[in-house]
Amino acid sequence: MTTVLISSESMSTWIAWLMLAPVALPLIAALLYGSLGWRPATTWAAALSAACVLSAACGIAVAVSSSGPQVAFFGLLRVDALSAFMLVVIGAVALVSAVATPGHLRVEREFGRADDRDCRHMVLLIQLFLALMALAVEAAGLGVLWVAMEATTIVTAFLVGQRRGRAAVEAAWKYVVICSTGIALALLGTFLLNFAAQHTPSPPAGLDWVDLVAAAPSLDTGVTRIAVALLIIGFGTKAGLAPLHAWLPDAHSQAPAPVSALMSGVLISVAFYAVLRVKVIADAALGPEFARALLVVLALASLALAASLLLAQRDYKRMLAYSSIENMGLLALGAAVGSPLAIAAVLLHMLGHGLAKSSLFLGAGRILQVTRTSRIDRVRGLAAREPLLAGCFGFGVLAIIAFPPFALFASELGIARAGFADGMGWVMGAALGLVLVIAAALVNHTSRMLLGAPAPPEGSVAKPVGGVGVPVPIAVPAISPSPVGTALPGGPASVVTVASPVAVASPFGVASPGTSASPGAGTLPAAPTLPGTVTSPGAVTSPGAVTSPVAAVTADRFRRRRPGSEIYAMIGALLTCAALGVTLGPLGPLLEQATAVVTRTP
Amino acid sequence: MNAPSLFGTVGVILQLLIVVALSPVLTGLMRQIRALLEGRAGSGIAQPWRDLRKLMRKQRTSPRGTTEVFRVAPLLLVATCLVVTAVAPFVTTASALDPVADLFAVVALLTLGTVALALAGLDTGTAFGGMGASRETTIIALVEPTMLVAIFALSVPVGSTNLAAIVTSGLDDPAQVFSPVSLLAAVALIVVIIAETGRLPVDNPSTHLELTMVHEAMVLEYSGPDLAMVELASSMRLTVFLGLLANLFVPWGIATSASPLLIAVGVLAFVVKVAFLGGCLAVGEVFLAKLRLFRVPELLAGSFVLGLLAVAASFFLA
Amino acid sequence: MSTALYVQLLNLVAGAFLLTAVLILWRRELTAIIDVFALQGAALATLVGIIAVAQGSAELGAVALGVLFLRAGLLPWMLRRAAVAAGATQRETRPLVNVVSSLLAAAALTLLAYAVSQPLVELAPSPSTHAIPVGMAVVLIGFFILVTRRLALSQLVGFLLLDNGITAVGFLTATGVGLIVELGVSLDVLLVVLVLQVLKTRMREAFGATDLDELRELHD
Repeated sequence: MTTVLISSESMSTWIAWLMLAPVALPLIAALLYGSLGWRPATTWAAALSAACVLSAACGIAVAVSSSGPQVAFFGLLRVDALSAFMLVVIGAVALVSAVATPGHLRVEREFGRADDRDCRHMVLLIQLFLALMALAVEAAGLGVLWVAMEATTIVTAFLVGQRRGRAAVEAAWKYVVICSTGIALALLGTFLLNFAAQHTPSPPAGLDWVDLVAAAPSLDTGVTRIAVALLIIGFGTKAGLAPLHAWLPDAHSQAPAPVSALMSGVLISVAFYAVLRVKVIADAALGPEFARALLVVLALASLALAASLLLAQRDYKRMLAYSSIENMGLLALGAAVGSPLAIAAVLLHMLGHGLAKSSLFLGAGRILQVTRTSRIDRVRGLAAREPLLAGCFGFGVLAIIAFPPFALFASELGIARAGFADGMGWVMGAALGLVLVIAAALVNHTSRMLLGAPAPPEGSVAKPVGGVGVPVPIAVPAISPSPVGTALPGGPASVVTVASPVAVASPFGVASPGTSASPGAGTLPAAPTLPGTVTSPGAVTSPGAVTSPVAAVTADRFRRRRPGSEIYAMIGALLTCAALGVTLGPLGPLLEQATAVVTRTP
Repeated sequence: MNAPSLFGTVGVILQLLIVVALSPVLTGLMRQIRALLEGRAGSGIAQPWRDLRKLMRKQRTSPRGTTEVFRVAPLLLVATCLVVTAVAPFVTTASALDPVADLFAVVALLTLGTVALALAGLDTGTAFGGMGASRETTIIALVEPTMLVAIFALSVPVGSTNLAAIVTSGLDDPAQVFSPVSLLAAVALIVVIIAETGRLPVDNPSTHLELTMVHEAMVLEYSGPDLAMVELASSMRLTVFLGLLANLFVPWGIATSASPLLIAVGVLAFVVKVAFLGGCLAVGEVFLAKLRLFRVPELLAGSFVLGLLAVAASFFLA
Repeated sequence: MSTALYVQLLNLVAGAFLLTAVLILWRRELTAIIDVFALQGAALATLVGIIAVAQGSAELGAVALGVLFLRAGLLPWMLRRAAVAAGATQRETRPLVNVVSSLLAAAALTLLAYAVSQPLVELAPSPSTHAIPVGMAVVLIGFFILVTRRLALSQLVGFLLLDNGITAVGFLTATGVGLIVELGVSLDVLLVVLVLQVLKTRMREAFGATDLDELRELHD
């Protein structure tokens, strides 16, 4: 590649710095959090670092498109259009998650479920995680990529197990064991691929992508076949593809919301990036059939698994996690097709899914904070209580099931069209059927959560998730304004049912003076024993008329609270996702170039 | 005919004499070692011979209701041991009956003896006999395949299942003896031999506790000369197995030509090796408790796997 | 070192490597398992050392020392400490697959490893590549232990066995993957073990035991 710029020397130095930024900035932020802790002054450092990563990604994209792939740092780092695109994905999702983190942590601290130390650990580890992910996509070869991927497992293990409860520790254990095993298989694949590369007629190639791709046609097919299978299964594990997917629902459901968002949006996408890189080599060495067969099997297995487990899913965080498995299956399917259209769609899907799913996980985290339960059947009538949150969540689900105008609509359409055009009609037909089932299941579960009357209070508080019991569910309906209720079908009826439990609870609220944190469960078992007539008539007819002081205080706390920063993050992510579905804008050329890297078309 | 044949005949006779004469001494030696280690005086290494002499002088009796199977079994047992002793390469590699010294033939002969004894145990119709026979059958079902597989692994590099050929090739190419194949096969064979000869931790030769005994339960009804033959045969089996083990893995010293000196060295080497192995076995037994019966299959399955691994290794670590 | 001696030693060590893997599958007592694991680490280090001497490579010799330190010293030491911390002598009393079947499965896995490794051996036949099936077999046996054992520590040993096998394949294919990658791999393994140790401690706090049967909270 010849550069048209005047001074190629200073240009390459600049690009080296630019390439260093996505790795170094999160590291600096991590240092900052490590030394200063999580405090008002450092609250927005994470968002700043994410924004800088995003800008650096754009800068790299420009540099790569003008002067081709860039190598720096003794050949350890190398960026091409695909790396730049992945950096955009990482930066965008990291920004969404970073914006949401302050709001999430504020509530966690209020509920006493996280202290200063937990907060510091979490933001610190998140920054390390981002640095490693950036390193993974900027790695010039398989070796560094492998090290970065495995290090990610280690860093995120404590993020998953942060809550230290039984479930969290179990999830962390499964996560580390399964992911490390998968990654170990990838290491074996790496060794074998290296072995094949050492015994080519041409001078021996190393583990660098460029060398491997160049040497691919002369690689021994038998060895390469084993290596590719191991690599795809190994990195597929980390991407949550079917045979070794078991860690994903557990880890995603137990991790704190911003971490779940990052795992779903960044971690599994970067793992799939590794699969794409391997596929490039596999296609050059073995022809497209081998990788295609393998990926189709993994994809259909993932889709079938997600569909079967989503139908009767009872936990909304796990529901989102299985939806991630589904989307990874779709990515694998697109990669199996392998035509330029399919790959472009896969890359767009990665970005779109990252944005939509991260906003959904943030929403789910917020719902968990509001309702204190992760059971779908215990979250009812969310739209009546938290209209903004419910609206974002609802739009997020619409985005994830590929409704237009969201980007996922365009990408899934692209994958399907490419598949049918490429003579994979049967596979595509089966996949589309499964996707429809999944979409139906998601819509069904979500509508049960968002619409309708709220669940009876004893259900929602009977099982506190942990920490201090807070009478949130009782208080929230009291202040939810009736206009929202009327926006729903059967609104007035729902408002009436909303009101009654509050009215029942309010006298007891007086009895326990001034403790907004008094366990709600204490007041509730008595409720059924009281006749409904205890309530004042006014309370039944108009919720706003509740005058019990404590209920009012509790209500005030929630009324006066600004919508958490999660909401802004969600809205931003969903709007971006929708905008990407309408037009790719400046991202278009980058997507095109990244596609060319995978399909190796000039 | 010619010299090798004469030499072979001499070898065969020598082997028979030595094994028959010294195998009770080996049993005595092992008992003596155990006695000394356990702080007892012991009865001396010639005690088994004295026991045999005493038993031989007694009257022959057989339980009521038993058939010819019961009476023939001791003879068959001794006969198979004698044949194996005659053909196996213990003192010399050039037996006159060389073609018989095939791996499969030897294992089949030894199994034949065991099966005869198991049938005799069943034939008595007593509870102990049947119990012992069923336990012995369980063990033998796991032992025989392992033994075949382990020796087969040794025969792969040689390209012959002839025992003499395997031993000779070990002499010619000492490197072969220190290969993973021999390592794995040796471990497998040791376990199997312990099980087959009824030693600890599989079976305790000196117990008559109904819960644990295997071999002793089968021969409980024998007395007099029949018992003497069974005892002699089991001593000989131990000697034969230890001799095979010694010569397969440490073949040095065995006579390869007719020189009297070499034959003398061969005899000496054989006696020393078997005595050494027997001593090790006895010392080991002092420190071992008997395995519970249902754990025995685990041990034997393990040795089978090692045998199989030995075969696999003999193919892929070429 | 003469070629014959090299082949001899290499094969012997490879045999010991495989034998220790089978022994780990065979034994139930955790302390015995950890001892055998240390032996395997030593066998692996010897393997690397033999290759180093044969190639006359001082760098590889240093790597062998590193392997010895990590896999025969540090990791078994950590495992032992964890076993002691776990209190009463732990035994793998009821593995998901009983020991006899596991041993037979190990035999089958070895044959599978042999079949799968054929292309690898054929690519560059040499004494060291002929031992690749041994490494592959250890990988498969490690995977098997990981899947079928119930105690947290046994699973950890399974994972480490898998890793030992992979490392052996790496050295037997005689392909230096670069010092940075090598260091990264070792560091990652060490850290994974550390992380799992911490999790195990937390598990004991939360569950009162490290029997993974207790892991039933999360399921669908």
